[in-house]
Amino acid sequence: MTFILRRLAALVGVLIASSFLVFAAMYAAPGSPENFLVQGRTVSPEVLAAIREQYSLDDPFLVRFWNWLTNVLHGDFGRSLANQQDVGELLAGRLPTTLMLVTLAAIIIIVLGIGMGIVAGTRGGVVDKIILLGSNLGFAIPTFFAALILMSIFSVGLGWFPVFGSGDGFFDRIWHLTLPAFALALPSSAVVARITRTSIREERDSEHSVMARARGVAESLVMRRHVIRNSMLPVSTIVGVHIAGLIAGSFVVEYAFTLDGIGTLLVHAVQRKDFAVVQAIAIVLVAAFGVINLLVDLFYASIDPRVKVETNR
Amino acid sequence: MLNIDNLSLTIGPDLQILRDVSLAVAAGEAVGLVGESGSGKSMTLRSILQIEPAGSEVTGTITFDDVDVRGLTGEALRRMRANDVSMIAQNPHAVLNPVLPVERYLIEGMHDAQGQPTKTAKIRAGELLEQVGIDAVDRVLRSYPHQLSGGMLQRVVIAGAIAGRPRLMLADEPTTALDVTTQAEVMAILDECRHELGMAMLFVTHDLDLAAAVCDRIAVMKDGEIVEIGLPEQLRDNPQHPYTRALMESRPAGLTWTPESEATS
Amino acid sequence: MKQFAERMGALGLIACGVIAVVVLGALFAPLIAPYDPTIGSVTQRYQGMSFEHLFGTDQAGRDIFSRLLWGARSSLTGPLIVVGITAVFGTLIALTAVWWGGIVDSFLSRVLDLLFAFPNLLLAMLAIAVFGPSLTTAALALSVAYIPYSARVVRSMAMRERNLPYIRSPELQGIPGIVITGRHLLPNVAPLIVTGATINFGFAMIELAALSFLGLGVQPPEADWGLMVSSGQQSLLNGYPAESVLAGLSIVITVAAFGYVGERLGGRAAAGRKA
Repeated sequence: MTFILRRLAALVGVLIASSFLVFAAMYAAPGSPENFLVQGRTVSPEVLAAIREQYSLDDPFLVRFWNWLTNVLHGDFGRSLANQQDVGELLAGRLPTTLMLVTLAAIIIIVLGIGMGIVAGTRGGVVDKIILLGSNLGFAIPTFFAALILMSIFSVGLGWFPVFGSGDGFFDRIWHLTLPAFALALPSSAVVARITRTSIREERDSEHSVMARARGVAESLVMRRHVIRNSMLPVSTIVGVHIAGLIAGSFVVEYAFTLDGIGTLLVHAVQRKDFAVVQAIAIVLVAAFGVINLLVDLFYASIDPRVKVETNR
Repeated sequence: MLNIDNLSLTIGPDLQILRDVSLAVAAGEAVGLVGESGSGKSMTLRSILQIEPAGSEVTGTITFDDVDVRGLTGEALRRMRANDVSMIAQNPHAVLNPVLPVERYLIEGMHDAQGQPTKTAKIRAGELLEQVGIDAVDRVLRSYPHQLSGGMLQRVVIAGAIAGRPRLMLADEPTTALDVTTQAEVMAILDECRHELGMAMLFVTHDLDLAAAVCDRIAVMKDGEIVEIGLPEQLRDNPQHPYTRALMESRPAGLTWTPESEATS
Repeated sequence: MKQFAERMGALGLIACGVIAVVVLGALFAPLIAPYDPTIGSVTQRYQGMSFEHLFGTDQAGRDIFSRLLWGARSSLTGPLIVVGITAVFGTLIALTAVWWGGIVDSFLSRVLDLLFAFPNLLLAMLAIAVFGPSLTTAALALSVAYIPYSARVVRSMAMRERNLPYIRSPELQGIPGIVITGRHLLPNVAPLIVTGATINFGFAMIELAALSFLGLGVQPPEADWGLMVSSGQQSLLNGYPAESVLAGLSIVITVAAFGYVGERLGGRAAAGRKA
């Protein structure tokens, strides 16, 4: 319990510090903050006043940060600097696509990555060689390249999947997001497969597995209870890290498939220098990243009895 | 009962671990296998259960009740391991799966390996722990391996090893990894259990005195070969091989150990 | 040399060969490349493979082989900047933290935690939003994002060395910390730094290429592999795959080569330490 509270407190601390970083970043830009925010767009005096108000540019620096942070905590992310839309609404509209994409990719990493790793680790022989080679190459394939190749083969060539867009309704969305999710999950699956394989190899010859065999426990049970189960401990942290990493990877894949998710929104905002949107997305993603990492640590503590005891002391 | 004939073991092209090892253990007899680390004692034990490291090349024969145990596979091999021969390894913290509680270790041996019903196995687990001198039975059963001391855990391993009333116990330096203060206690418990059940034992150790105290006969091993076999007093009073003589001379003087002196403590 | 070959194995030597070819191609691009990478001709669009154009031409009639060679330059310089800065600052931070310990260590750890809170690409995009898109901005921002990884690994190894007698005894003799760190601690963590840099090189290449693909890194008309994958996208979907596919494969092969060599070196760093 104290472990969870301590981790939560640390997360809150990091989030406050990183939101300060996100807020203060604009002051690192050359020129006045006003010029930076407007970026040479022609704006009416009313809009300019609204922007000054949004960033409380008439107040001292720390007050500006405080105003901005409290607004963010109330869910008010201000308005887009490029087209005056409400950033919170903009984000909310884009969230489902990104969430679904990341969830699908996470499932693929778990099923494909761990599955392949277990097959390679337990079977050996040609299957093992092929999976090992595949994972050595797989991790080197950039998601955007995988996206293009998958798109040109399965969408343009075979016509099995739509080329662009996110779809409407649950199943249509899944159909639209299948290829993007595979492109996004490919490199991580390769890494997870390799680590699973190594971990299984190590556990297979571990003393407790060998002694379980020596005690007359059936091989299939030794594999399940001692080898695979225990090899999942290190694998679960790696999987967690990679699922958290999907957040950043999703920008690129969303953009490649022109999906209407947060990632595409972020890329366009950076291209258009719409800093209010960039800030909002950065804050949301850092928070999501932190929460996923925390959940992974808690999950790990829950499956490995040794972690619990150490942290409770 | 156990007959090892011309057992040789090599790993890879040129690493010879065992060379023509021949040794017999009669029913109820305790045989010590003494030598320094790397002399091949553990590998001899592991070959009996077919748990030598992958990539080992083994020749020679090992029979248990005239059955060639190296030739056993599948179900027959599993039964032999579960019912006839059990083993105690050096480091109990490595033997128990770190993420499963102690109770699961004992139940696994009795239920999954020996085929006893889970219910019986649960009851027996407690009884066995009492038998190896553990008081806080429930606490130990619920504990995870890292929460227990090496001495406590080795008792659990001994309890697991005697659960199936095997006729042969393979003990691989069972006290070496333990605290000096608990070594004698654990050894006494092991010795006591052996006598109670009338088990034969092949006892691997680097400690000649300890072997002399608990064994009927002692084989001295060096560089993968058995150089001398004899009764403890023969080896002590009239060692034939120079290596045995060196072993006798190198031990600390004045320390003699008997199971009786510790069993009550 | 023989030892190195043994360590690498057959595949590892092939990987080293791949890296050598890519580096030489980048260095001598002006001599080898038959055409100017940025100038095309409308009459030469979408040429197939021929002796004139080894890999054909792109939608602007530019020679793809020449663009791949020139593209190797920016595609390698970016990661080189990243791993260079990461190695220097990561090591500096780690060794400072280890040597001084206490408050210094925990302060630096907090700073690293803060950087860890940002996914790499997000930090890079934030920097690009502030300073505008360019390879330099992307590479510098990514360096900052990578520093914590390098610092953490070096710190934990240096921490173990810190209390060993070969560090402790000169300290007791009054030799200044900076001298001991430079003379004893640094050489011992150096193999780890090299291995880390090799492995990070591949990741940096992918992430920088991704930024260029998004239009936030290398800017057209300059040749860059990530940019080529992106600019060839439409051609690929229209049935002219050469530009995208060749640029993409160049990234895959180079990254895989760096990854494999790094893995082999990692074995060496681990096996080289017996004590």
